[in-house]
Amino acid sequence: MNGMIVKALVMAGVLIVGTLVVVKQMNIDLSDPINMITFIGAVAIAVLAFGVAAKYMAQMKNDTATGELAEDNWDGIGEYKNPLPSGWSWSFVGTMIWAIWYMLMGYPVNAYSQIGAWNKETKEYNKKFQAKFKNADKETLKDMGESIFLVQCAPCHGDTGDGMSGKAHDLTHRISKAQVLYVIKNGSHYFKYPIGAMPAGMAQGKAAEEVAAYVAGGLKGKAPAAWATCAGCHGQDGKGNGGQAPDLAKIDSTLINQVLTHGKKGSIGRMPSFANRFTPVQEKALAEYIKSLSSKE
Amino acid sequence: MQSNATLEYDYTIAKLYMWTAVIFGIVGMTIGVLIASQLAFPDLNYLFGEYGTFSRLRPMHTNVVIYGFTVSGIFSTFYYVSQRVLKVSMGESKLLMGLGKLQFGLYLIAATGMVVSLAMGITASKEYAQMEWPLDALIVVIWVIWGVIMFGLIGLRREKTLYISLWYYIATFLGVAMLYLFNNAEVPTIFFSGGLGAWYHSVSMYAGTNDALVQWWWGHNAVAFVFTVPIIAIIYYFLPKESGQAIYSYKLSLLSFWGLMFVYLWAGGHHLLWSTVPDWMQTMGSVFSVILILPSWGSAINMLLTMKGEWNQLTKNPLVKFMVLASTFYMLSTLEGPIQAVKSVNAIAHFTDWIPGHVHDGVLGWVAFMIFAAIMHMAPRVFKREIYSKSLLESQFWIQTIGVVLYFTSMWIAGITQGMMWRAVDEYGNLVYSFIDTVSVLHPYYALRALGGLLYLIGMFMFAYNFFKTATAGRRLEQEPRYRSPMA
Amino acid sequence: MFHWLEKNPFFFAVGVFIVIAYAGLIEILPNFAEAARPVKGLKPYTVLQLAGKEVYKKDNCIACHSQLIRPFKAETDRYGQYSLSGEYAYDRPFLWGSKRTGPDLHRVGNYRTPDWHANHMWNPKSVVPDSIMPAYKHQFTNVADLETAYAEAVTVKKVFGTPYGADIAPGKAAYEKELKTKILPEALKIATEMKRDDLIKMVKAGKVPEVVALVAYLEKLK
Ligand code: HEC
Ligand code: HEC
Ligand code: HEC
Ligand code: HEM
Ligand code: HEM
Ligand SMILES: [Ca+2]
Ligand SMILES: [Ca+2]
Ligand SMILES: [Cu+2]
Repeated sequence: MNGMIVKALVMAGVLIVGTLVVVKQMNIDLSDPINMITFIGAVAIAVLAFGVAAKYMAQMKNDTATGELAEDNWDGIGEYKNPLPSGWSWSFVGTMIWAIWYMLMGYPVNAYSQIGAWNKETKEYNKKFQAKFKNADKETLKDMGESIFLVQCAPCHGDTGDGMSGKAHDLTHRISKAQVLYVIKNGSHYFKYPIGAMPAGMAQGKAAEEVAAYVAGGLKGKAPAAWATCAGCHGQDGKGNGGQAPDLAKIDSTLINQVLTHGKKGSIGRMPSFANRFTPVQEKALAEYIKSLSSKE
Repeated sequence: MQSNATLEYDYTIAKLYMWTAVIFGIVGMTIGVLIASQLAFPDLNYLFGEYGTFSRLRPMHTNVVIYGFTVSGIFSTFYYVSQRVLKVSMGESKLLMGLGKLQFGLYLIAATGMVVSLAMGITASKEYAQMEWPLDALIVVIWVIWGVIMFGLIGLRREKTLYISLWYYIATFLGVAMLYLFNNAEVPTIFFSGGLGAWYHSVSMYAGTNDALVQWWWGHNAVAFVFTVPIIAIIYYFLPKESGQAIYSYKLSLLSFWGLMFVYLWAGGHHLLWSTVPDWMQTMGSVFSVILILPSWGSAINMLLTMKGEWNQLTKNPLVKFMVLASTFYMLSTLEGPIQAVKSVNAIAHFTDWIPGHVHDGVLGWVAFMIFAAIMHMAPRVFKREIYSKSLLESQFWIQTIGVVLYFTSMWIAGITQGMMWRAVDEYGNLVYSFIDTVSVLHPYYALRALGGLLYLIGMFMFAYNFFKTATAGRRLEQEPRYRSPMA
Repeated sequence: MFHWLEKNPFFFAVGVFIVIAYAGLIEILPNFAEAARPVKGLKPYTVLQLAGKEVYKKDNCIACHSQLIRPFKAETDRYGQYSLSGEYAYDRPFLWGSKRTGPDLHRVGNYRTPDWHANHMWNPKSVVPDSIMPAYKHQFTNVADLETAYAEAVTVKKVFGTPYGADIAPGKAAYEKELKTKILPEALKIATEMKRDDLIKMVKAGKVPEVVALVAYLEKLK
């Protein structure tokens, strides 16, 4: 082979290998059809562009200009009557054949629908993963939950879930005093617990302060007197009366499910709802991960 | 055929546009290097208050390099080439000369208006069509004047047959006129609101998906009729002229031209793949993009074959180097684009850095290289002086070539990585990477791109200096060189 | 024939024009009426949101952000439901963008809140430590151009029949009224949610900071 072409192909090779190395470092699955086609496309660009250009460079080196000159001449520029290069003509025909294939079979103009393709892909996907992880153990779910958390929740709750100095709920703890006070003052009606909404003003002044401190402290020690009001719904132990109202002692799956479905507004601010964004398995996984955050304390 | 000897071409307008090309080139590329650096080092966003953020500067970069640098380059070559291949002098008609000066004056006003309004954040927000309606109106006037001059010169011509370059200039004129008018159809709000609000504000005639269709019909073809068609006009004149070689094949010129005209307009859909435009339109966009490879390569191959057997010139003449490498970069971008237009590939490539990578293969390697070569070929002839420094030109070539290679390789890798990371899923079928992961990983590539850009900019400064010295201090020429440009 | 055209510039130009013009007709026109139809329940932007859209344009967020969720599972997982044509029926201009240096924003109103935006626009690194997005502190002091936004609402109502109520009418008086009764209260609500006293104070003084209008717009993106 001509030296010029070899050099060009080496250049193309370096670029392709470089891309491959970087992509592999990111754990990209190249057997995914879209990734694979893209990669083949990249190889084609590099090899054809560099290779063909080198072929013509080689002709500059080794060939000579020939042909019959046309009569016209503009400002000293002449023109040969050479025929079309055959490689060019055949490639032209080739692209047209490909085009017809693409319109009839690749993405048939009368039949292909991108929304249809999405529906199909998503359905299959969800079915597959739903089935596979329906009975996943805690560790697996936690691991699964972490990646969802980092993509969807970390921008507010922070990578570690600590709420980024008060920008969102600190998920490593159940609840702070300020948050409880806010609920006591304003009531709460975002979730759908069986008991219904919590009315505002269930305690006032010092009593409110006391219960708030008690709840934020994890319901340890002696309960203040005003706790009796709360216990009516949340249970004497604050664990929510068997799911009737939120568990105030720890973040449990029900609460996470309620927050994801309905969002929440509290003393820190508002959390948007993530209704319909996750499959049941993903929700379970998120809950498992968040529970693991708060159980660290 | 009349003899050349009696005809003195008038290069006044060509010279003016050569100067603006150099100035806008420096400005536009300096901003390019700055915005490239901002993505690698975000603290650079705060150099000029609200006027210095990446987002405010990005359209400034694109508009200055396109409407400042490239369009000046196109006009300067037009006012030079058209006279010579038609064998008429601008000087023969007071009217045309006057119109030419008027056009340049209006162009300066429009360009200044563009820079000032973009700095202030006044924008219609459509890519490559950011200017608001008062500037649009001015641009239409400038364009019409150009048309009058073009057809005026053609009317006066002594050369019966239109040279290939003129085919492309005519297409540039018509294509931009048609597309610009449709895409910038907008309603000034001041007239309908009882005089409320900013006088320059307007709303687009089209909404949503329709607006997108019209915009990318324009956006894609702005590439066609600003970065491709007129640049082919340039290479068809300057490469054979500088090298003294005859064009390889008339047939290839012919098929490439009409093929390009026929196919280009259909391909705009490739900017809207996987969007809300109908599926069949997207497929058409993909299909015509791939067919477009050959009409595009046709011109490049015709140029490369014109240099068949002329290796000697390639090694000895930096201008020929620029033009030959430009042809190959043109081939690279017109293969890369079509492949990025294939739906599966676009699913990855769209929205990523691979696209700016593709863009700059074309604009740095092809458009700007051609404009540099053309200006340096014209300079000795319009200033009647030798090119100031060959070695400077030679160094510029190598520095800028390294710059382009760094630019496109870094963005190639960055874009493909980013696109694949966005899709990556773990063993549970969930997204692996948060968005910011896909940003952080790009840092080294952004830094490399900035370095490549800096090299290119250094080359631009070398060029500007060389040009300035040529115009003012180059050795005087007694006689116009026939082919190869003399350089010291 | 081609040789003949090359000697007859007029017909040459006509030929070029025909060849380049018809592709547009075939590709663009058929879809026009179809794509203009809004999805059910789509409301036009309020004047405040329009002013926010102008800030989005002015500071050119489109340089880094798209507003188009493509129908891929990876994309709908990240951003939510894929975009529909009818959702853009009141977008003049469309703001899909062509580069995602930052994430898509077409549904950002679903999963971010005004006070998050307040933190983020003031200093993106405060919520996303590795962010390369510029801080837009000037938006907290610059005053949004509500009058132009109002002029835009009047224009699209009159020219394109965008369904605004009777209140949106030409002239200074109608504008002043809209400002008092609708725009400022809406802005106050956003400013309050953003939890910054400087913003609340400005709105109460009758001046809406750019960032408040911008956040009103971002909140509408759902
Ligand atoms: C009438 C029943 C009832 C009473 C009495 C009651 N709560 Fe609640 N509480 C609820 C319900 C139901 C919810 C969930 C409300 C919702 O939908 O947001 C709730 C929510 C809460 C929350 C918010 C949970 C979270 O994570 O955000 C806190 C904190 C709380 N209650 C504390 C208290 C305290 C302290 C008292 C006593 C002063 C009290 N509750 C009295 C029914 C009650
Ligand atoms: C736009 C910001 C934001 C995002 C995104 C966000 N959150 Fe929140 N979240 C908040 C805020 C703010 C609170 C606190 C509300 C309050 O009590 O004031 C909160 C509260 C919560 C709580 C309630 C804790 C309690 O005891 O009441 C849970 C659980 C939670 N978030 C989980 C998640 C999960 C899981 C995700 C991701 C799928 C997520 N959050 C995404 C802002 C956000
Ligand atoms: C230089 C590029 C750049 C510019 C310009 C830019 N952004 Fe960003 N933007 C980013 C990046 C990168 C992120 C992701 C990291 C983060 O959240 O800060 C982001 C994130 C965001 C987010 C959060 C979205 C999400 O899903 O987390 C919003 C909202 C946003 N930008 C709005 C804007 C607005 C409004 C403007 C214009 C005034 C703007 N951006 C300008 C790069 C940019
Ligand atoms: C056969 C010829 C070409 C085809 C088919 C083609 C195709 C494409 C495609 C598919 C995209 C990306 C769209 C996206 O996903 O966002 C693109 C973008 C672009 N191309 Fe090309 N390309 C070609 C030649 C060129 C040349 C020669 C240049 C410049 C000299 C160029 C300049 C651009 C620009 C500026 C963009 C960016 C548009 C934007 O702002 O999004 N292209 N092209
Ligand atoms: C010194 C050289 C240059 C550098 C460093 C540079 C850098 C950049 C950068 C950083 C961007 C933004 C990419 C992004 O948003 O991710 C950009 C966009 C762009 N530049 Fe340049 N540029 C240079 C020269 C040029 C020249 C000479 C031209 C045209 C003749 C040009 C045309 C463009 C265009 C059309 C875009 C928009 C691309 C798109 O939207 O996809 N650039 N450039
Ligand atoms: Ca305009
Ligand atoms: Ca773009
Ligand atoms: Cu295009």
